[in-house]
Amino acid sequence: MVRMFRSEWLKLRKSVIWLLAVVSPLLAALVGILSILDDAEIIGGSPWLYALSMMAALHAMLFLPLLTGVYAALVCRYEHAGGGWKQLLSLPVSRSQVYLVKFAFIMLLLAITQLLFLAALLGIGLSLGFPGPIPWKEIIVACLGGWIACLPLAALQLAVSTAWSSFAAPLAVNVIFTLPNMLVANSAEYAPYYPWVQPMLAMMPRDEMSFGAFNVSPVTLFAVIGGSFLLFLASGWTYFSKKAV
Amino acid sequence: MNNWILQTEGLTKKLGGKAVVNDLNLKMEKGDIYGFLGPNGAGKTTTIRMLLGLAKPTQGRIRIFGKDMQKERMAVLRKVGSLVEYPSYYGHLNAIENLEAVRRLLGVPKSRIDEVLSVVRLTKDAKRPVKGYSLGMKQRLGIATALLGQPELLVLDEPTNGLDPAGILEIRELIKSLPREQGVTILISSHLLSEIEQMATRVGIITKGRMIFQDSIDTLRERAQSKIRIGVSDPEAAWKQLLAGGYQADWDRRKLTIDRAPNETVAAMIASLVKHNFSVYRVEEEGASLEDIFLDLTGGEGSL
Ligand SMILES: Nc1ncnc2c1ncn2[C@@H]1O[C@H](COP(=O)(O)OP(=O)(O)O)[C@@H](O)[C@H]1O
Ligand SMILES: [Mg+2]
Repeated sequence: MVRMFRSEWLKLRKSVIWLLAVVSPLLAALVGILSILDDAEIIGGSPWLYALSMMAALHAMLFLPLLTGVYAALVCRYEHAGGGWKQLLSLPVSRSQVYLVKFAFIMLLLAITQLLFLAALLGIGLSLGFPGPIPWKEIIVACLGGWIACLPLAALQLAVSTAWSSFAAPLAVNVIFTLPNMLVANSAEYAPYYPWVQPMLAMMPRDEMSFGAFNVSPVTLFAVIGGSFLLFLASGWTYFSKKAV
Repeated sequence: MNNWILQTEGLTKKLGGKAVVNDLNLKMEKGDIYGFLGPNGAGKTTTIRMLLGLAKPTQGRIRIFGKDMQKERMAVLRKVGSLVEYPSYYGHLNAIENLEAVRRLLGVPKSRIDEVLSVVRLTKDAKRPVKGYSLGMKQRLGIATALLGQPELLVLDEPTNGLDPAGILEIRELIKSLPREQGVTILISSHLLSEIEQMATRVGIITKGRMIFQDSIDTLRERAQSKIRIGVSDPEAAWKQLLAGGYQADWDRRKLTIDRAPNETVAAMIASLVKHNFSVYRVEEEGASLEDIFLDLTGGEGSL
């Protein structure tokens, strides 16, 4: 497993993937700055949480789910492109290991993305001189929650990306499922059960938003996230271990 | 117990309801360079995929190093190096990094990378991204990757496909030198007899999924020499006359041939033809080429 990880790291290290991880937090930061400057006087509440919710709205509703798909497609792309699958799978490695290590790398890239998001938020807050103590707990819960909410998406996208040798097709699937987020997020009825909107629900500070699904209990959300994650991971994994290469 | 290094029993693969590989009993001995020959679409790649565990057989068993492939896949693959169809590579990495990605999985010493690079003579270009390599260089990198784990069995699927004559010669010399230098057994597939002929010690010929010949290259060569052609007036009638006289003869609508036979038998056959008023123009040993045999065996689907 460690060997597999080190081999995968070598392939990934020199790839364009790293540029992508920076983009979303940067854009989110821009939105954060603009909205803070816009409403210079924040009525009550903490400017930290206000900035967080503004940034998360863009980052978690669109970019985070989309990036999940892009990362999944990228960790499979160099195998599809150069005939890597057949070489990799005719080495003494187990298919489960290959699959799980690929999955771990998607989650690692997402973790880095979340850390960059965190850094962007802190950077804005400190440079604009937000008053009051930094609400560490809320911020960390949001970043971590957003990351965990990506688990089912990553599992599904990995399944699709291993199955199809095309780079664009899995991304198209991802976009089709991500775009409705803007509508679904406002629906108390559907949002709790729609996996693609979970990162957003998880990243929003609760007391800032009280419409739509944002009041749904965390227990429900995590049941949905956990359930769909296990379902997607198990199907993708089973498919991959039987796939003819 | 026998000492086959690789053995399949009734290996069958059905794809889309059609048996693409049909009841194959492939046998390789240690030290063989086994030429796996067949026209395009015969089922060579499909067979090799099953040998490497990339696809599951519909029926049949595979034993490599005496171990059941399905049950002991990992132990078997540790000692097998392979190159299937087209070379696999990571284009954004250079040759050393490509080999390193595989080396980390195999856990062999780092020094192997320099060794295999020099075997395939890529040392000079090792630091360039592989996407800029020519097909021949990628092919050589593929062979280097296959050699990395010091395999006991090397499986190469059409390793000279798409190369120019110089590239083909280079790969062929490389492959011929391997059993001597590295002590490996090699399975190499091709649709070109001319290519296999110059390196194989043992040959298996497959067409439409079935093995139609499997023996040493010398046996194949013997078959290629053993015909005598008779030039005669009205050959078809002459053929019937010979058969009626109890002799073996072949008539393929173009020429009348007899299998190689003792001098007296040949003399007796000619005498009988003369006696029945056929004009005998020529009696000649026909040096049928291996290519003819191959075409004959594969029903004319083979190619140079
Ligand atoms: N996935 C598939 N479904 C149906 N038929 C296939 C599939 N893959 C290969 N074939 C058929 O199997 C036959 C053997 O192919 P292959 O093993 O690649 O031959 P070779 O390597 O000898 O040229 C071909 O006729 C091909 O059309
Ligand atoms: Mg082939």
